[in-house]
Amino acid sequence: MTTHTLELKNLTKKIKGKTIVDDLSFSVREGEIFGLLGPNGAGKTTTIRMIVGLISITDGDVLINGDNLRGNFEKAMERVGAIVENPQLYDYMTGYKNLMQYARIMPDVTKERIDEVIDLVDLKNAIHDKVKTYSLGMRQRLGVAQALLHKPNVLILDEPTNGLDPQGIYDLRNYLRLLANNGTSVVVSSHMLAEMQMMCDRVAIIQHGKLMRIDEILNQDDEADVKVHFKIEGDVSQAKQVLLNLNEDLNVTESGQELIVQTADVRFIAEMNKQLVLAGVLVVGIQRKTKTLEERFLEMTKKGGDLNEVAVPVNE
Amino acid sequence: MKWLSLLTNEWIKIFSRTRTWIFLAIPIVIIIGIAVYDKVTTDVEVNENWKQELTQTVKDDQKALDEAKKNNDNEIYIDMLESNIKQNEYAIANDISPYETTAWQFMKDMAWISIFIGLFVIVVASDIVSNEFAKGTIKMLLIRPYSRWKILLSKFVATLGFAFLMWLVVILVTWLVGGLAYGFGGMDQSYLITAEDGQVKERLIVEYVFANIGVEFIELTALVAMSFMISTLFMSNSVAIGVALFTMFAGNTIVALLATKDWVIYTLFANMDLSVLIDGQNQMIKDLTLPFSISVLAVYTVIMLAITFTVFQKRDVKA
Repeated sequence: MTTHTLELKNLTKKIKGKTIVDDLSFSVREGEIFGLLGPNGAGKTTTIRMIVGLISITDGDVLINGDNLRGNFEKAMERVGAIVENPQLYDYMTGYKNLMQYARIMPDVTKERIDEVIDLVDLKNAIHDKVKTYSLGMRQRLGVAQALLHKPNVLILDEPTNGLDPQGIYDLRNYLRLLANNGTSVVVSSHMLAEMQMMCDRVAIIQHGKLMRIDEILNQDDEADVKVHFKIEGDVSQAKQVLLNLNEDLNVTESGQELIVQTADVRFIAEMNKQLVLAGVLVVGIQRKTKTLEERFLEMTKKGGDLNEVAVPVNE
Repeated sequence: MKWLSLLTNEWIKIFSRTRTWIFLAIPIVIIIGIAVYDKVTTDVEVNENWKQELTQTVKDDQKALDEAKKNNDNEIYIDMLESNIKQNEYAIANDISPYETTAWQFMKDMAWISIFIGLFVIVVASDIVSNEFAKGTIKMLLIRPYSRWKILLSKFVATLGFAFLMWLVVILVTWLVGGLAYGFGGMDQSYLITAEDGQVKERLIVEYVFANIGVEFIELTALVAMSFMISTLFMSNSVAIGVALFTMFAGNTIVALLATKDWVIYTLFANMDLSVLIDGQNQMIKDLTLPFSISVLAVYTVIMLAITFTVFQKRDVKA
């Protein structure tokens, strides 16, 4: 049975009669990286702020490790670590003193743990410098350090890659994966599609404060969205007829010199190729393509069509 | 859970700022400076011939009084002159030198230094909540497993602690500097006041000094509560400090303008300066007494704290 560390139940936020988050429900499993994806103003940040208690909840509940945030805030927040937008730190103190601020008030943070976290985010050399001398990347890392000090099992990051350079993003991604593998549930929000696709196990698409759908990123190949592109030299309509002869119900469309067939079955792709070759059609290329998260996202939010598709290898 | 750690954190934040140390240094430098200046410039002759000096002052005052009465001058001015003359005559008759300075006399004379403490306490108290909102660090604090009121309470207690500490340091330094400059004696030294019935009375300086120390603690508590409320209502620290300072300094002017109104005695600012009430009544507003003013301040403090905690508890943090 999967354990859910974070559960949202009919979470709603209204500000001055306007509904910002509308009846949002989802559960985050132990050890997964869960993405909240949505255009600006979709309610991602409001949702995250309700989860960590920065904004009051109009209706619904947030359960963290089974404790209800509304009834038992202190217990619920005990094993939560978070960075909401940029990590804001005390500039006039050293990195170490900043960490001490949080170490002091969280349960069971030993001196060894502090050193361990400093090592982890690679700030050993600068930890006794004042934070005002830090670069954005260093601040970001110190922010991660403070969020991890007390070994949270729910880690919440709002737009974590803002202001990070590509190396920083890469490091963060690997690091989050490491945490997730050790059982931490990570919730990240972003409007960067490609990033979410690379980072997350599941992504919830949110628009106008409503949950549109939840996608499993790793299992996308099995979905019906996969299409096969046959690149043909010669008569495309004739080739199309060959495939229709094979199966009348087949969903085949012509697109320039390409035939696009909706199927995910590898054996069937091989069979189609065989029939085409036997019929004397010159097949110069076969590509299996899947809809990107981006495309699905844009489809959901009704902003575009199916332009961008990503190639995935035929043989797996 | 570990509320005291929250308090420690706030305390560390206050003392990690350079300005805190400057705030502590300024009154100390002023106290030492005044003592040194006084020692260097005071004319020893005057001290020994104080009776002649004082007799001359009485004559001058008498002349001014006659003049003032002829011109129908301000009543407060006439009262003041009359009271001065009576006090000086009493001093000459009973051999109480107003020029004899001791550690205690020095402390009484330096009581005005508390205005600096008020000023610096406003800055620290205005900053302690609003600065965290302005810098966004409040987010990092509110996501901890502590109810909001606990976090706000730690800030309030830390500011109050800082205000009290500063006052105690200043008292101690004044006593030490006064003692080193003028000698530590003078516990039995008295000063003169004019009672409500117009009679001149003697009072121990030590009594005044301790009464002043006491009322300053009460004033500081009300001042911290006020700045704290403004700091929580306005989330930008410059606005908070500006509003707090304005209300403090404009307060006296507003009270002066409204002095004739009956209800002025119930305003916060008419009751903010308790030290003038130690010797009796307020010259400007005669209805004010020490117990009355302390009660009014207590009521205001409770109301302001209630507003602060209610607003803070419900505030949505969007910074």
